Amino acid sequence: MKQIIIIISSLLFSTIFYNQNIGLNLSLFSVLSIIVLIIGNSKKLINRITVTYAVLYLLTAILVFFQHTTLSIIANCIAYFTLIGSVSETKSSIFVNWLNGLYTSIAGFFYRNFDFDETKEHPKLKKDIDFFHWIKLIGIPLVFFVFFILLYKNGNSVFNDFISQIDFRFINLQWILFSILGYYLFNNIINPVKVDSATKSDLKTGNTLYKTDTFSVEILKKEIQLGTTLMLCLNVLIIFYLITEVIALNTSLTNNAVTLSNQIHSGINALIASIIIAIIIILYFFRGNINFYKANKTLKNLSFIWIILNATLVILITLKNNDYVTTFGFTYKRIGVYIYLLLTFIGLITTFIKVLKIKNLYFLFRVNTQIAFVLLILLSTINWDCTITKYNINHAQSLDLDYLINLSNKNAVLLNEYKKTKVFSFDKNQAIKKKYKTYIKQLNNRNWQEYTYANFQKNSNYKTLNY
Amino acid sequence: MHIPSNIGKSTLLATCIFWTINFSKDFDSDIFLLVFMSIIPICISVTAVIIGTICPIFWLLKKENESNTLFFKKWFPIYTILAFSLCVFGAVVSNLEFYLVSFYITVYITTAQSWVWFAKEK
Repeated sequence: MKQIIIIISSLLFSTIFYNQNIGLNLSLFSVLSIIVLIIGNSKKLINRITVTYAVLYLLTAILVFFQHTTLSIIANCIAYFTLIGSVSETKSSIFVNWLNGLYTSIAGFFYRNFDFDETKEHPKLKKDIDFFHWIKLIGIPLVFFVFFILLYKNGNSVFNDFISQIDFRFINLQWILFSILGYYLFNNIINPVKVDSATKSDLKTGNTLYKTDTFSVEILKKEIQLGTTLMLCLNVLIIFYLITEVIALNTSLTNNAVTLSNQIHSGINALIASIIIAIIIILYFFRGNINFYKANKTLKNLSFIWIILNATLVILITLKNNDYVTTFGFTYKRIGVYIYLLLTFIGLITTFIKVLKIKNLYFLFRVNTQIAFVLLILLSTINWDCTITKYNINHAQSLDLDYLINLSNKNAVLLNEYKKTKVFSFDKNQAIKKKYKTYIKQLNNRNWQEYTYANFQKNSNYKTLNY
Repeated sequence: MHIPSNIGKSTLLATCIFWTINFSKDFDSDIFLLVFMSIIPICISVTAVIIGTICPIFWLLKKENESNTLFFKKWFPIYTILAFSLCVFGAVVSNLEFYLVSFYITVYITTAQSWVWFAKEK
């Protein structure tokens, strides 16, 4: 039964992907993968976490169809690995799910040769293929068959004509190989496997820190002294930096894009260094028994203050970036800065929780990777090219049209509409016209496998092609 | 470890995969001689990869009493994920050029199967 499902799936795989670009096919593949997983692992899929991942995977599949952005495709791939990994081991952390998902997808077929517990079962390894037997079985008859055909061809003109008419060109070997690839993939995922060492270690490790036997008051006292001095100095320094930052923010009158850009990027670089060092120092001091030492209050409070001050720094740089965006509009880099600031802010909050609730490093990895995953899916719900174009056209005080023209063709319709309302130079007019024509041509040339939501929106744009 | 037999089997496997993929694009019966000749460089590459990357893992990391199955389960995932990543990287860097993609597919499958052959040895 499973084999039939895999064969049908692999034929469908070839039908939707062979010689096609990404579009509806990736969404269909997602549905197909879920069906295969349900058939192969019906019991494992009746689980709240796995069902949630399946729903998220379907959501990203829908996003690929509607948004068709690189980010939505990446989100779909990561959701795919997460789901497969979750089926292989439901209780593992999300980053282990990714590892298991990737491993299952690329090497499940090879791993299955050894997929048994040696301590419980008597291993029954599949016998190796007897290559020489197969070579004899296929090779020798084939050689003689071809030899005799060549022999008979010379002896009989009718036979010669008949043989010459045989044409195997209708067989598309590439399509067949593509189906084999599909077979390999579905055969891998129908019964997900796991990276044993990583999964076991992840399942064994909890989120909470425990007091160890090496608890020594003397050593801890020295460490606390060092930590307190260091954190105090760093707090004073960051307060001073924040004051100068506020002064700079209020006195800065420049409207020059290059100056603002330099200010933002140098701020971001300082922030990156500051936050990474902050987290490393905090993780170092709160790595073990200091968490259980009664006299750690001062160090803890100083750490909390430092986290809060770093968060304030994040807010200040966000305000700076806001100014920049209000004047010059959105670009991918500026959006990237926002995302980085958001991630940093979240990282600081989770570090705060780690210290407050005496959690270990695993907790940070687990929570932060989960947040990153959710954030990736949320960000992929937005068509950034269109959002940037809409915002810049409507709100930016200084519009960089060249930047918008150089974005992907997804904003071609918006730019074309905008062109009708404004007067541009001849070059820019032509560039928008060309972009729009290329976009419509791309839409029209798509096969059904490559369709996206834009294909069902384009009717109103057909006419404008004739201008 | 039966290295020569593994190299022999891997060479045959690699030759079959590589030429099957390449013939799927452009079949030319005139290059059959080239196919046979290609066994030599393929064998050299296979030997280099097996002796240079797989054997050292077995030689250096396998404990005396450890079974092949446990060893495979421990180290094969790391090896295969690394090999896959490198092959994907190579394919992307080559701009998905057909000939090179077929080469990387061959490398990945052959190394993985070579691991299985080593691990199945008694």
